[in-house]
Amino acid sequence: MKSVLKKILTAMRGGVNELGEAVVDSQGNRILEQELRDSEQELKQAKHELASLMAEAASLARQIRTEQDNASKREGDASKALAAGQEELAREVAERIVGHERRAAELSQTREGLQQRIASLKTRVQTAEKQLADYRRELQVVKTNERVLRTTAQIDTNINSQQSSLSTAKETLERIRERQAREEDRQSASAALEKELTGADLDEKLKAAGIDGDQDAVNDVLARLKSKTNE
Amino acid sequence: MDTQTLTLALGDATHAGRTFDVMPIAGDEPVLQVTVSGAEETPVYVTVTDTQILCLAYLFDEQELNPERLNELHENMLRISVPMPLSSLGKTGQHYVVYGALSPASGSAEIMQELVTLAENAIDLLQTFEDYLA
Repeated sequence: MKSVLKKILTAMRGGVNELGEAVVDSQGNRILEQELRDSEQELKQAKHELASLMAEAASLARQIRTEQDNASKREGDASKALAAGQEELAREVAERIVGHERRAAELSQTREGLQQRIASLKTRVQTAEKQLADYRRELQVVKTNERVLRTTAQIDTNINSQQSSLSTAKETLERIRERQAREEDRQSASAALEKELTGADLDEKLKAAGIDGDQDAVNDVLARLKSKTNE
Repeated sequence: MDTQTLTLALGDATHAGRTFDVMPIAGDEPVLQVTVSGAEETPVYVTVTDTQILCLAYLFDEQELNPERLNELHENMLRISVPMPLSSLGKTGQHYVVYGALSPASGSAEIMQELVTLAENAIDLLQTFEDYLA
């Protein structure tokens, strides 16, 4: 099976990404969904069959054990009959033993065949499970792809009906720059306002004019000290 | 989370100082156009499927690009896509898009985070790749 991603990519590069000629169209989608359902059905059947075969094998094993138990029990009986000189009775018991052993052998053969079928069924279940996971993943890719195509087509139609055309990247960039400039203006305006409120702007102007309140106070103190020492 | 629930949740929510303006896009698919405050130029489109919530913003169209520098742009887009928070770059039809996908089990806080990040990333990307426009 060709990778679904590869299929989509090939079709897209061929320019088949318009609506209505979607790569894996709704028909293909339905086929995938049908395949998924078939796979699920097969898995369910295989598991059901597996369960009944395993139950059958267990029941056979039980029957085999019973026959074997009976055979060994009868062997004791036969020995006792021989010891008692009952040759005829011992022969009758021996015939029963042969019967048990034969049935045990037959049942074992049936069980062996059954176990082979169980093993191959288990492989089938595993294969089906893997296939199911593959289908699910593919279906998801296909559906997402369709959804994106339909969604973007819808957006474009909508924008086109509202404006003369989709705004270009350059127009968008222009609007971004205008907003960013407005934000910067607002920020510097609020910084200026802040200075005004605290009086920092006046202090700056006074300092620029050579009038510095702090410096004046220092000079006053120095002058006072100097005049004291001179006295 | 479906588009109706999302519309109601975003209507009067604030996330990281942002508000959201939600408008449904008419059509068969449930699509929302979400405008994030402070990043109004790049609206984010949101659609909800059973497997994911897909958010995408348009960057530029193929025909807007300088064809001679296309390879260089693609290379840069691939490289920038990995470290970019929450968003990936892609192309659908003629549109180059930035997008992010969330689990349908996401709460409105995760979705709002995605919307804000996506809108901001879109602006950042447009300004980053401006030189490649024709």
